[in-house]
Amino acid sequence: MSPATPEAAPPASQLPVWLDWVLSNTPSGLLLLDAQSRIVFANKWFLLRARVDIEGIQGHGVRDVFPVLRGGHFERALLKAMRTGFPALLSQSLHPSPFPLYAPAATVANDNLLRQSVHIVPMGPTDAAAAGQRYILIQIADVSPTVARERLLKAHAERMSDLVHVDGLTGIGNRRFFDESMAAELRAASRTGSSLGLVMLDIDQFKQFNDLYGHPAGDRCLRAVADVLKTVCRRPRDLVARYGGEELVAILPDTDDAGAAQVARDILQRLRDLGLQHDDNLGRAIVTASAGVYAAVPKANDTPDAVVGRADQALYAAKSAGRDRVFCFDAGRQEAVPG
Amino acid sequence: MKLTPLELDALAEVFNHGVGQAALALSELAGEEVQLSAPKVEELSKRQISEKLEAQGSNRICAVRQAFSGAVNTDALLMFPVEKSLQLVQLMVGSDVPLAQLSEMEQESLAEIGNILLNSVVASVADMLHIEFEGSLPQVEQGRAGDMLYTEDDMDDAILSLQINFKIAARQVQGYLVFLLDVASSEALKKKITEFIESME
Repeated sequence: MSPATPEAAPPASQLPVWLDWVLSNTPSGLLLLDAQSRIVFANKWFLLRARVDIEGIQGHGVRDVFPVLRGGHFERALLKAMRTGFPALLSQSLHPSPFPLYAPAATVANDNLLRQSVHIVPMGPTDAAAAGQRYILIQIADVSPTVARERLLKAHAERMSDLVHVDGLTGIGNRRFFDESMAAELRAASRTGSSLGLVMLDIDQFKQFNDLYGHPAGDRCLRAVADVLKTVCRRPRDLVARYGGEELVAILPDTDDAGAAQVARDILQRLRDLGLQHDDNLGRAIVTASAGVYAAVPKANDTPDAVVGRADQALYAAKSAGRDRVFCFDAGRQEAVPG
Repeated sequence: MKLTPLELDALAEVFNHGVGQAALALSELAGEEVQLSAPKVEELSKRQISEKLEAQGSNRICAVRQAFSGAVNTDALLMFPVEKSLQLVQLMVGSDVPLAQLSEMEQESLAEIGNILLNSVVASVADMLHIEFEGSLPQVEQGRAGDMLYTEDDMDDAILSLQINFKIAARQVQGYLVFLLDVASSEALKKKITEFIESME
């Protein structure tokens, strides 16, 4: 038996001129298969993107012409459609590019496979009876632009969600980020029975700094302190945020009181090392900060407010004791002690 | 249509054969096991179906519709609350869906998932009850359940409904597959079910 089927549709050259014109100008791929899945017809859109000639593929099995289809979802869907007679579709998200189709070389310089949405439509029983066999129409739409657009949209959506959690001035987390993270980390620590550390930081005499040097300088100072916090708290799970005003905070998972106190001392030392001038800081001449530390394995009834309250109590004690120092909340004595 | 318990059992057997085929196909697609179960075949009123779907938390429904025609004409709809349809696509595609609604490409994935299930179930009906059907391509619709079920007719009309549970990676999504049948098609289907039961005896 010759590869060209006797009952195949006439070659494109024998189609009525207007029909040939319509098919050639259809902006999606059309591929007609006979009941043995041999190619009967392919329109210009398809040939151009498959980079084949109609003479080279007509009468040949679609899986011989495109071996990449063998064993794949398209083949399974095609066989099922031939058996049941029901139309099927292959979506881009689940099968990005079933056919080896590329953008026409003349217009696009890259060789990326086109993202495709594929419809497999077998002839219904009545038409098939009239045609002498059940033909199958494969329709292929190029959805690459839609995929690109949706990718952009999702990137924007993700960026928006990030922005909601970032403090605009310092680039570290904002209060909302802190509140959400604190609740989540407290639950996680409680579940795993691990210690959660918290460091509350307050820039000493910040109001006086602003009065003396102006608010733009105050903003730069805040950013510098935030950078110090980021540099010191750099383990993957450490979280830093601006709690409010000139108060910054670090959440330190898997950290006990000794570890958290060390982190707080490192922050204060790095800040001193920066040597930012501050002539109204109780005679210290540079920008300094006070820190309150609390770390413990959370108890079942510990709320974020209660934990933050203990670190805050330690911070207040550090400031009362003369600033530029670290105090820790001692759970056993229920009071803040120098750390 | 009023089917007897025996007839509903026979239909359940036919449907479950199709649901089993669909589970295999969906598992191949997802690259992991997709479990499908269809515990209940019932005749429910349009009102009851709307209420069951809305009881899952939302009156926004997402559906995949396909028309099948032949000796029996039916619109088959696979219906989910919108949030559940998002979840299902997310589980099948294996990516996160950060938007509140299905994007165009995600809708297309849902259409494919629905297409596999509807084709498998209707193919079982065709094979086992000996009914020849012609099928349409699937289309995705969003809106109120009542609008999709043409409730301008009568909310108390009974329609054939199949509860479908998807289970993927320990997560479960529940939907309903319903068949809208006119009077003539209901009678034709009932006759085919009777013949099927007789052939079993």
